[in-house]
Amino acid sequence: MSKGVQRLTWPILGLPAVAWMFLFLAIPFYVLLCTAFGSIDPLFRNPVPAWNPLDWRLTQVAVVFERLFGPDNFYLPPVMRTIGFVLIAVVISLLIAFPVAYFTAKYAGRRKALVLTLLVAPFWISYMMRMLAWVNLLQTDGIVNNILSLGGLLPIEVNWLAGKWYTVVMGLIYGYVPYMILPLFAALDRISPSLLEAARDLGAGGFDVFKRVILPMSIPGIAAGTLLISLPMMGDYFTTELLSGSPETSMIGSLINTSISSPGQSGQAAALILVLLVVLAAPMIWYTRSTSTAEARS
Amino acid sequence: MPRTPGSQSDANPRDNSKAALTRRRLLQTSLLAVPGAMALGACARASDATTAAASGASASGAAIAPTTLQIASPDNPVRWPIAPGNEPIASGLKPEQNGVLRLYNYPDYLDPEAIKTFEKKYADSGVKVELSTFNDTQEALTKIRNAGSAFDIYFPSYDSIGKLVTGGLIRPLQHSYIPNIANVYPEFLDPFYDLGWQYTAPYALYTTGIGWRTDRVSEDIPSLVNPYDVFWDAKYREHIAVLDDYREGIGMTLLRNGGTNVNTDDDALLNAARDAMLEMNAATKPRVTISGYTDIPEGRLDISQAWSGDLIMAVNYLPEGVSPDILRYWFPKDGKGLVNNDTMVTLKGGQSPVLAHLFINHILDQATAMGNFMYTGYQPPQVSITAESLVSDGVIPATLKEAVVLPGYFKTGYRTLELPPETDAKYAAIWQQFKAG
Repeated sequence: MSKGVQRLTWPILGLPAVAWMFLFLAIPFYVLLCTAFGSIDPLFRNPVPAWNPLDWRLTQVAVVFERLFGPDNFYLPPVMRTIGFVLIAVVISLLIAFPVAYFTAKYAGRRKALVLTLLVAPFWISYMMRMLAWVNLLQTDGIVNNILSLGGLLPIEVNWLAGKWYTVVMGLIYGYVPYMILPLFAALDRISPSLLEAARDLGAGGFDVFKRVILPMSIPGIAAGTLLISLPMMGDYFTTELLSGSPETSMIGSLINTSISSPGQSGQAAALILVLLVVLAAPMIWYTRSTSTAEARS
Repeated sequence: MPRTPGSQSDANPRDNSKAALTRRRLLQTSLLAVPGAMALGACARASDATTAAASGASASGAAIAPTTLQIASPDNPVRWPIAPGNEPIASGLKPEQNGVLRLYNYPDYLDPEAIKTFEKKYADSGVKVELSTFNDTQEALTKIRNAGSAFDIYFPSYDSIGKLVTGGLIRPLQHSYIPNIANVYPEFLDPFYDLGWQYTAPYALYTTGIGWRTDRVSEDIPSLVNPYDVFWDAKYREHIAVLDDYREGIGMTLLRNGGTNVNTDDDALLNAARDAMLEMNAATKPRVTISGYTDIPEGRLDISQAWSGDLIMAVNYLPEGVSPDILRYWFPKDGKGLVNNDTMVTLKGGQSPVLAHLFINHILDQATAMGNFMYTGYQPPQVSITAESLVSDGVIPATLKEAVVLPGYFKTGYRTLELPPETDAKYAAIWQQFKAG
């Protein structure tokens, strides 16, 4: 193989990925921008994208900006609420996923594959079906209340589905926690047992081993898991729609959904997606930086 | 929300160029001021002007003139123009051979049996019916405008007829194929939204009221001074819902505040409605959903704003052994509430216009209409269907008699009319704020 061909091999292998990104990221993103900065058809009230950036108008974005930061900023509560829900859900997911991933990696032995399969098994059912199943379980006379009240002995009757923030957060955790377990497992599984033995030989106690060896080495897994679940959670509207349906638990995704389905407001939905993108940029940047420092370290 | 420049994305006064104003004037003169003989020619100009406005908009970006689409209302009934080249089909044609009849409707809004009987009736011509569904009007209009779509029949609410005619998307009806129109309430032969039923045949009727179950709600709601107050009554907190529809939610609040115009553009009234809706959020934390027809019978809701058809449907969703007597529906006794109807229209892009007419006639047939009613819960405007006959035939329990739409409601009730874009944007903003929580 000549040098020239060899130099071309890697870029050519990269081509499908570049084409993919162009077709399914760059172009849709441009359409989104054209819609957000475009106009509305006067008769049918649907958005008319402005393909030429010279024609872009700030009208739609200004509406969204006004509702976010103006005197009557009624978009801000759902945005703050979304960030809050996702923060809580990510922390709890991490608390659940870490021990599960750790024990699977360390103690499942030959049955690792089986345990992982079982963990992922609920995902063979669609997200919608799983949320609908929760709707049944959480009804006032449903199984959850039955168990909590020990079959009616205790006067416990929680109206879970009546716009409770904790029900929505619970739904988010349940829906996304396997995505946290898998990258964590991958990270923890890679930690060589000899490193742990070495730490013990050097006099580290159980907690020290965790703090100084396991935790630092699982940072890439934590970062990947956090990112994997926080991105879809941020845009989620389905969970709150099904498990609450109350404006009190509206998230950014709900705002976008309402905008899209009201005549003449779809451009604002596009502008809202841009806002969502800005909110999501923070964890993205954090992830990129933490993986690059991790790579530099190794 | 105080109206700020910029909140009217598509009606920003600053964007009104001179050209836009002349287009607007042209539209006004050609659409509003043409009686009788001039109608045809003027209509051609009007549709040209609309196309010009639309294409101008896409070419020049955001500079868009406010549309002057004519708005039909009971005080301002409209006879839509028939554009040259869009005359009704000739009468007496044979149904298309091996034609495919494409229907475009909401999900669960048409009895599959009605399709089967139609296919059987015209088996000679080898007709095949295909049903596609949509979830909201915006989605439907976008698809219908797509040149590739060849739906024959669409089932819009009457408030999109203006758009459909002005946009040149529907075909006028050839009345000779639809003798069953004789079965429907006479007012639908001359409805305000389409005088002379040139484009539309009526499909289903509904009122908007309150649905509840008596085993969970002890209060006698019809006897309240203002039954709408239940949505602000803290004792129903977390057990109540309003319909997920901006016009229904805001319309109900306007009526609760003592208003009689559910299409108002008055900022004072709209601001009061907005404040009341935010109060409602704080007081009862309502769910916003259109699934009341299952949520009430299955016990997830005790009380909900509801369409009349929802309660009739709800009977089918009651758990086994629960008597339908626990379901109740309230609509103002004097008929002064929200009353609306959906229609059937034939689309210009349809490939089987004759079959489309025959299908509309089939739906207006008494037996088909009754079957469709039993399946969807939504009442057809058949003269033969009365509250008494429905109860005595055991179709609905006597306790749900209020859910039957009476012909008189179309004189006394309030209609949810199409809104001018600037007004519509105000309603949308209120709804956004309400739903943002």
